Amino acid sequence: MDSVIEVRNLTKRYKDVLALDDVGFDIQRDTIYGFLGRNGAGKTTAMSILTAQNLPTSGQVRVFGEDPYENARVLSRMCFVRESQKYPDDATPRHALASARLFFPQWDQELADDLVEEFQLPLKRTIKKLSRGQLSAVGVIIGLASRAEITFFDEPYLGLDAVARQIFYDRLLTDYAEHPRTVLLSSHLIDEVSNLIERVLVIDAGRIIMDESTEDARAQATNVVGDTAAVERALRGREVIHRESLGRVASVTFVGRLDAAERDALAAAGLDLAPVSLQQLIVRLTQQRTPGRDAFAAEAQEGSLR
Amino acid sequence: MTTIESGSATRPAVVRNRTRNVVRLQFVNTQTFVWVPALVLGGAWVLTMLIYWILQNAGVTGVKTGGGSQAPLWYFLVVGIQAMTMTFPFSQAMSLTRREFYVGSLAAAAVSGLGMSLVFVLLGLVERATGGYGMNGYFAYLDWLWQGGPLAAGLTYFVLTMLFFIVGFWSATIYKRYGTAVLTTVLIGIGLALVGLVALVTWQQAWPEVGQWILDTGALGLTLWAILVSVVLAAGSYLTLRRMPA
Repeated sequence: MDSVIEVRNLTKRYKDVLALDDVGFDIQRDTIYGFLGRNGAGKTTAMSILTAQNLPTSGQVRVFGEDPYENARVLSRMCFVRESQKYPDDATPRHALASARLFFPQWDQELADDLVEEFQLPLKRTIKKLSRGQLSAVGVIIGLASRAEITFFDEPYLGLDAVARQIFYDRLLTDYAEHPRTVLLSSHLIDEVSNLIERVLVIDAGRIIMDESTEDARAQATNVVGDTAAVERALRGREVIHRESLGRVASVTFVGRLDAAERDALAAAGLDLAPVSLQQLIVRLTQQRTPGRDAFAAEAQEGSLR
Repeated sequence: MTTIESGSATRPAVVRNRTRNVVRLQFVNTQTFVWVPALVLGGAWVLTMLIYWILQNAGVTGVKTGGGSQAPLWYFLVVGIQAMTMTFPFSQAMSLTRREFYVGSLAAAAVSGLGMSLVFVLLGLVERATGGYGMNGYFAYLDWLWQGGPLAAGLTYFVLTMLFFIVGFWSATIYKRYGTAVLTTVLIGIGLALVGLVALVTWQQAWPEVGQWILDTGALGLTLWAILVSVVLAAGSYLTLRRMPA
């Protein structure tokens, strides 16, 4: 496996919080990762440490085989614009983009100009006066146009409307196809990004609880659609993650795979298999650690965020 | 793969220029680094001139000097604070190391400080040539400072701007990293140390010697001491920034 990032036994303790608890994982070259988890799970802390913006309490981080801390050679190949990024007081988007052009060796000005137009970003207004969405657009443009070999997007869509988010996803994919690179995308809109991401890295309460391809992750569960009564019969006591019904038709997602015989039985009963929602799967995974929560209430909370 | 290779080819040059580009990054805040210091210096000059003019018309024809030219020095405390608080988080987003950011910020302050010192020296030369604007009033041409000539006066002014900048920068770093309580404690600690020094000199009844030492050392000699202090403070400031989270 060709890893660009290797993390071993990484622990970060703030005064009274254990943000990362003995974490270890590898990030493969030229892959788009979904870095998922609840608020406060440790996503931003992890990304800050990988980019040497923050320091670990203990453990080891290797980026391109080297320690990124105070390492210009490594840092200049990465880009991490925070969700709550601060800019110089008098700075306008024009200043911010001009600065990024100075510091990112593979900066593509044409791409940046295109994106400014698509996001309708006012270049001459001071950043202090931008709306939340426009502020996010500045970060997104820097992240895309820097074309860094490893790019981190930390909830890049805050305040962006659905159209702007779609622009971001489309541009990311198009540019990624032409210029493969490693992308870590942290997001709460899991279903929205699920078609984008090739691998899923889920962090919960400071620990990595899932690290696999999106396909394998999805295969952990099964979604059956069809006549309600027939679906209920097919469940046979399996653990249900999600249930929707409309009239006599139900769509139920449950944990586990089906063998060939079971598939045939389902087909015979007139039931269809549909793709599993990554979001529902991950909500279930990250919920187990917060006992006493009503499954559906918690899901509504996560799913309807923003 | 081609992307990555072309990247490696251009990278070393970029890495080298990064520190120099921090100066340009800092100067995005033109207001902080250029206009406000210029305004403070210009404003202090105008006010001083008006006072000299009033005095002159009231028949005060003797040598008139004032401390107005030190106003921009104090402002460099603010420049130091802003260079740290406003630009450090963004410098991290630009994938800069703390060292690149720090050295580049010092260079930016030096550019601004050199500009101020140049204006200061030019004003002093004008004052020397015109006998204090024809009214015996001096803003920049202060005898004691100019003992070593214009270059020495300029050096003193420049070193003081840097000293103030570094103090501001370090204070801001301590504040951002450790919070108000620690910064206040540090300032009180420095205050106590200074009071201790005063007490020591007083008990030893050594004030005449201290005064004589200052006179003997002269402006240029004191400036050399100030350079030493600046270097020590700059090193302390860097050590505080070195492990600072963004």
